[in-house]
Amino acid sequence: MSAVALHQASSSRLQSLANKEWAWLAGIILLMSAVLTILEPNFLTQFNFYVLLRGIAVTLIVAYAQLMVLVVGQLNLSVGATGGMVAICTGGMMEVWGLPTVIAVALGLLIGVGAGLANGLLTTRTGINGFIITLATASAFTGVTIGLNDAKPWYNLPKRFVEFGQGRIGPFPYIAIVTIIVGILLWVLFERTLLGRQILAVGGNQRAAELSGIPVDRILVIVFVLSAILSSIAGIILMARLGSAQPSIGSDWLLPSFAIPIVAGIALSGGSAPVINTALAALLIALIDNGLVLTKADPYWIQFLLGLIILVAVGLNRLRAVREAKRTTAS
Amino acid sequence: MSTTLEAPPQTYALELRGIRKAFPGVQALDGVDLVMRPGEIHALVGENGAGKSTLLKIITGIYRPDEGTLEVDGQSRAFGSPRDSLHAGIGIVHQERNLIPKFSVAENITLEQPPVRNGQWIDRDRMRTESERWLDLLQIPIDPERSVEDLSVAQRQLVEIAKALSLESRILLLDEPTASLTPHETAVLFEILQRLRDDGVAILFVSHKLEEIFAICDRVTVLRDGKVAALDRDLRELDRDQLVTLMIGRSEHVAEFPQRDLSEAPVVLELRDVTSAAGPTDIDLALHKGEILGLYGLVGAGRTELARTIIGDVPMTSGEILVDGQSAIISDARAALERYRIGYVSENRQTEGLILSHSVLANVAMTVWSRLATWLGWIQPGAERSAVGPFIDRLQVKTPSLEQQVGNLSGGNQQKVSLSKWLAAQTAILIVDEPTVGIDVKTKHELHELIWELANQGLSILLISSDMPEMVQLADRIVVMVDRRVAGSLPNNRNYDDMSQQIMSLIHRRADPPDTPA
Repeated sequence: MSAVALHQASSSRLQSLANKEWAWLAGIILLMSAVLTILEPNFLTQFNFYVLLRGIAVTLIVAYAQLMVLVVGQLNLSVGATGGMVAICTGGMMEVWGLPTVIAVALGLLIGVGAGLANGLLTTRTGINGFIITLATASAFTGVTIGLNDAKPWYNLPKRFVEFGQGRIGPFPYIAIVTIIVGILLWVLFERTLLGRQILAVGGNQRAAELSGIPVDRILVIVFVLSAILSSIAGIILMARLGSAQPSIGSDWLLPSFAIPIVAGIALSGGSAPVINTALAALLIALIDNGLVLTKADPYWIQFLLGLIILVAVGLNRLRAVREAKRTTAS
Repeated sequence: MSTTLEAPPQTYALELRGIRKAFPGVQALDGVDLVMRPGEIHALVGENGAGKSTLLKIITGIYRPDEGTLEVDGQSRAFGSPRDSLHAGIGIVHQERNLIPKFSVAENITLEQPPVRNGQWIDRDRMRTESERWLDLLQIPIDPERSVEDLSVAQRQLVEIAKALSLESRILLLDEPTASLTPHETAVLFEILQRLRDDGVAILFVSHKLEEIFAICDRVTVLRDGKVAALDRDLRELDRDQLVTLMIGRSEHVAEFPQRDLSEAPVVLELRDVTSAAGPTDIDLALHKGEILGLYGLVGAGRTELARTIIGDVPMTSGEILVDGQSAIISDARAALERYRIGYVSENRQTEGLILSHSVLANVAMTVWSRLATWLGWIQPGAERSAVGPFIDRLQVKTPSLEQQVGNLSGGNQQKVSLSKWLAAQTAILIVDEPTVGIDVKTKHELHELIWELANQGLSILLISSDMPEMVQLADRIVVMVDRRVAGSLPNNRNYDDMSQQIMSLIHRRADPPDTPA
């Protein structure tokens, strides 16, 4: 009896730590930082930290845009296409119409809202999976991006806007302020608000949520709109950082948008929203990227490694789910 | 252990000795024995969590035991997968539905051994005739070409039984086979089981329904907390109370509820000539305040469909629903809850009632979030806890904390969570659909007492149940539905024999035999 109890106690303590993704993520981040510090003198420099954070500032918002939709068990393939379209439109309004930054950005975000509404309404009204809908709309949005200025970038962006995109205080880029605010708002959304809880419930069991009086379709539309707004924000701050509105913005977001939430341990079936872990996962993936760059590894390996990391993360999640299921059926 | 050639004193069809199986944090089975003889129906009973499911999974090769031996016809076996178990002649009707929804009934029945022509081509004609044979044997009026996803829960259960029978296993395991069957379907199943027993099949029958155990089983093994509380006992030597005592370790307490007449109480929910897109036709019904109105019927009678029509989940095509005497237009579950304070506790608690991956707190609070939200949808930390805590305490949900994942709770506690959700929502009318299916005896009584108490405090309850003793014990009035219409309404005199007679005669007067729902 006591042996069983002891066994239970020790295994549950071990398990509770192993079950905490943040502990894993933080552990690996610390380990990698230590290794890079020892191996690479350039790692611990202010400029390198700036480069690191500058990258994360954009990719984390991209990851959040995907997380939003993953929470309800859907996929959004148009995150990059929306970001690109909004960046080109906003840049165009700044250059061609000469609109002030604030107005151009507001109108750009409004275009993002429109893109999200299109995704959300098409998904809920037709009952077709968001994967298919966003596959189609992604192509349409990219068409707009390229068509508006014949695949050419806009270069004449307001000076203050570009300064904000490229400026920093020590290692800390200004654009990271946006990312931090976005992260805090998302955390508050899921922890403290009605909408956040309803989104989680719809993701956890759509039917149960519906029967409990939650307006499922409305929630799904809101989710796609929020995802599009986040994509738009990422597009706009990337444009500011680059100093020009490139039509290529967003074209390489698909992989990281999925990789980061998956490494953060999100349940792909929906119902979980690991906002903080996603930030840690973004940092981890940026560190890997950074380490490979610093050690002058072949850039193609970065792509390969990212794929490998997704597989490992998915595999670990699966392993845990299986063990969880076994424990549940036993009790 | 060296095996010698001397014959064992008795050959069992299946013999398990000293089975141990642990999961992280749980010793699910702790030295369990089980023996089954050919030509015998053996009952395996125990409360939820006693280890029955784990034991079945070991016999069917889903789990491997940590310790212990398993012998089939005296031959030691170690099953690495469900296939191994199947090849050793062991068939099972699972509690969970193990059918492929997109496949037809015939494809599902012949899934393990599809009839083939010329070695590889599926013979669809034979597939049809073979499955028809098993469906006919069970008197199941279902077209074998129909897709399983279009069938009701009970029909799927019947198909599952047909599938297990079609394998003609020498050892047949049935895990809660009657959970969603009507008395008539159960009787047919029992006849077949008796025939199989006479043919020398060894049958293991797992059920929470003790009436059934005594009706059909010869011997019994009782599990309690992963250990054997009674091994291979003759059921003729045991009475119901003794069996329950073995199961729960103390004697059972059955509540007797008094007769009530609430016909003078105001009508809170009235249906006038309601016809639904889902089947129910010309339904007239009146639920009085504080009443428990039972809704009894065979499978396909349209009770669940009627419940779904009331909460606006399926459209009403004609007729009128009145709540508190006022005509009500209920467009969806949200309107039902927020405008008319009607709640629906689904019969499928895992797929429709709960979010298994979320906490107890989140599950119960789901219906009150919109009420708790203040400016900009803000929910104060702690607001949920104080809003739902009392209800969880009141239902005595056994959970280590409110943060516990609902999926980790036992079936009975999950059902309590599912009920708490609607109590927290402060509904005035509650439709409870099959509240105690697959729930152990003790929790079942707790739930019965709870439902009774709630009604006494003024909650009006529409109780859908296929469990006749439950119906007679709880309901004030019993409305019988046959073939998607109301066949009659009976005041309950709480005399089981009399009531079941009256109900069955109502059912058989109208429809004999019951036909398939569209």
